[in-house]
Amino acid sequence: MRRTLSAYEPVVGAHSISQLRQLATDLAGARVVHVNSTREGGGVAEILTWLIPLMNDLELEASWEVIEGSDEFYRVTKAFHNALQGSSQPLTGKMIEAYERTLEMNAVRLRPILSEADFVFIHDPQPAGLFDLCPHKKGIWLWRCHIDVSHPNRRFWQYLKSKVSSYHASIFSMPDFAQSLPHPQFLIAPSIDPLSEKNCELTDSEIAATLERLGVPDDLPILTQISRFDRFKDPVGVIEAFNRLSPSIHARLVLAGGGATDDPEGAAVLQEVRESVNGNGRIHVLELPPDVHRTINALQRASTAVLQKSTKEGFGLTVTEAMWKGKPVIGGNVGGIRMQVHSHHTGFLINTPEGAALRIQELLRSPALAERMGRQAKAFVTENFLLNRHLREYLTLMLGVRRGLTNHLVAH
Amino acid sequence: MTMPFAIKDCALITRMAGVDSALNLRELRERLRHCPLECLFHHFCETVIRPTFDDPEFRNDLAVWAARDLRDRVLAERLGIINPYLLSDLEELRQTVIDIVDDHLAELPYIPGVQLGEDFRFMRAVTVVFDTGMQLTAPGDLARMLPQMSLSSIYFHYVEARRRTLDRADDFTSWLKQFGDEAEEMIETLRSIDFYFMSLPELKAQLVKAMSRFHPESVRA
Repeated sequence: MRRTLSAYEPVVGAHSISQLRQLATDLAGARVVHVNSTREGGGVAEILTWLIPLMNDLELEASWEVIEGSDEFYRVTKAFHNALQGSSQPLTGKMIEAYERTLEMNAVRLRPILSEADFVFIHDPQPAGLFDLCPHKKGIWLWRCHIDVSHPNRRFWQYLKSKVSSYHASIFSMPDFAQSLPHPQFLIAPSIDPLSEKNCELTDSEIAATLERLGVPDDLPILTQISRFDRFKDPVGVIEAFNRLSPSIHARLVLAGGGATDDPEGAAVLQEVRESVNGNGRIHVLELPPDVHRTINALQRASTAVLQKSTKEGFGLTVTEAMWKGKPVIGGNVGGIRMQVHSHHTGFLINTPEGAALRIQELLRSPALAERMGRQAKAFVTENFLLNRHLREYLTLMLGVRRGLTNHLVAH
Repeated sequence: MTMPFAIKDCALITRMAGVDSALNLRELRERLRHCPLECLFHHFCETVIRPTFDDPEFRNDLAVWAARDLRDRVLAERLGIINPYLLSDLEELRQTVIDIVDDHLAELPYIPGVQLGEDFRFMRAVTVVFDTGMQLTAPGDLARMLPQMSLSSIYFHYVEARRRTLDRADDFTSWLKQFGDEAEEMIETLRSIDFYFMSLPELKAQLVKAMSRFHPESVRA
C-alpha cells in the first residue's frame, strides 16, 4: 500500500512531518533515481518500497530501477558481497567480465533516465559500475553502501573502489564501515517503516492463527531468528545455542528465512540448517517467500526474545523490527547490531553460541527483565530508527551536496 | 520600526572528517593537532543534537571514548568537564584538549590504546538550515512560541548561534537587543542559563519555564 507522510503523523508526530516538508521545499521537482539489484527480499528493497512514495509525496520526482542479470551475474555479486564482508576468495577475470557485461546491458536500458536525473543513488556493489557507463550524466551520483565493509577482502575492494571513487559522495551505515575514498563519506543509519505489513500492529487472534498455520505450537516461549539463510547470519550457531540451554529451560526456536532473488547460496545454507536440527521437534525451520511480511510480523510479535546471531551484519533491520515490537534482542557483537543493541538495556550483545545460550536463559527466567528491555528497545527505535529520521537525513544530504559542502552551514 | 525574527530549523548530516582514526592516546593527540576545527565543534557541540541511546555520561565524544573504549576514567573526567562555550574559540578548545592529553600522557608509564574497531573516528557534520514560516514580532512572542519550537530549532538559535555571531550571543538575544529596556530582563534570563551540560529536551524545558513569565498572558494574569 502506498502511504503518504500524513499517515505517519500519529506515530512520529506532526512536527516531524512538517519538518520534512519544510526541508524538502528546495528540492521540489528534483529527479531522483534509486538503483539496486532486487525488488523483493532484503533490507534495501524494503527501504526503497517506502522511500520512493514518500519522496514523491514531498514533491520530488523519485523512481526506483532494478538491474537485471543472469544466475551467473548474481553468483558473482554474491561472491562480491561475501568478499567485501571479509570472506577469502579469488577474484577472477571471468567474474569481472560477467559483472561488467551485465552492467553494460543494464546501462543501455537505464542510461536515459540516469543521465537526466538530478540525484542518482546507487545501492550496494551490484550496480556500482553504472557510473562509468553513463558518460553524459548531469546530476549528483551517490553510492550507498549498506553492507559491512569494515574488513573487506582487499582484492575485491580495490576493484570496487575503482568503480565508486568517481561518485560525488558515498554513504555508509556507520563510521566503522567507511573506507578511504577520494570523496565525502556520509553516515546514514537505515530505518524501518512502522506502518508496513511487517511492522504494523496485529491482533492476538491473527498472531495465534499465523502460528497455527505455520505449525508452531504456542505452548512454550518462542525464540526467533528471522533472516535469510546466509552463513553470515549464523543460523547453525543459533541452533547450537538452543541446544546448549539448560535442561530446565523449555522453549521453541523458530528460524524463518525469506529468500532474495539476488542470493544464490540460500538453498545450500538452508540444507545445512535442516541437517543441524537433527530431529529436534522444538526447532522449527521455516522457508518463507520474500513477501510474507505479516507472517514475519506475527512471528516476531509471538516471540519472547529475538535473536540475530550474525557474524557480519550491515545494519540488521530485523533487529530494528524486533525492537520496534518491544522485544529484547540477543544479537551478534558486529556491525550495525552494536548501534541498536545496548547490552543490558535493549538486549544483549553476544560473541558465541555459549553467550547466546546464557542470555536466552537470563531472559526466559526473568520475564520482568525481558519486558523492561523490550520497552526500552521500542523507545530507542521510535527515537532513532524510524523512516522519518532516515528521510530527513537523505534530504539534508541532497541539499548539502548540491551546495557543494564548502561550508559547515547551508542555508536555503 | 523593529525587525521580525524568522524562526529557522535545521537538520544535520554527519560525515567522516577525512582524518585517520586514533588507536591510542598519542595518535589521538597528533590527530587533534591537525584536524579541522569542524571536527572539534562536532565532537564537543553537535553531540547534543545527535541520536544517542540515552543521556550519555559525558557530553563530548572524546570523554565518552576515553571512558568506554580506552577505559580510562581519569582522562574521561578531565575531558568531560570542558565547556567549549567558556573558551574564546575552537582553537582554544583544541589547545585545551591537547594540554589535558599531554599532561595525562606524562603521568603514565605506557601509551593507552584500544583494539581495532574501538579506534576514535573523527567526524564532522553539515547543517542545513531552513525556514519554518513562523515569525516573532514582539519580545512577548518568544515566550509564547518557545513551546512550539522544535529541539533542532532551539539548538540552531540558542546553541549553534554562538558559533556564528561575533559577540557569541544566541539569536534570540541578538534580536531582542533592538527593543532596548523592554527586553533587558529577557536577555538577562537567556544569558543566565548554563546550557552546555543539558540535553536538548532539558534545555527546552528550562527555556520555556524561564521565559514563561514574559508571556503577555502571564503578565495579564
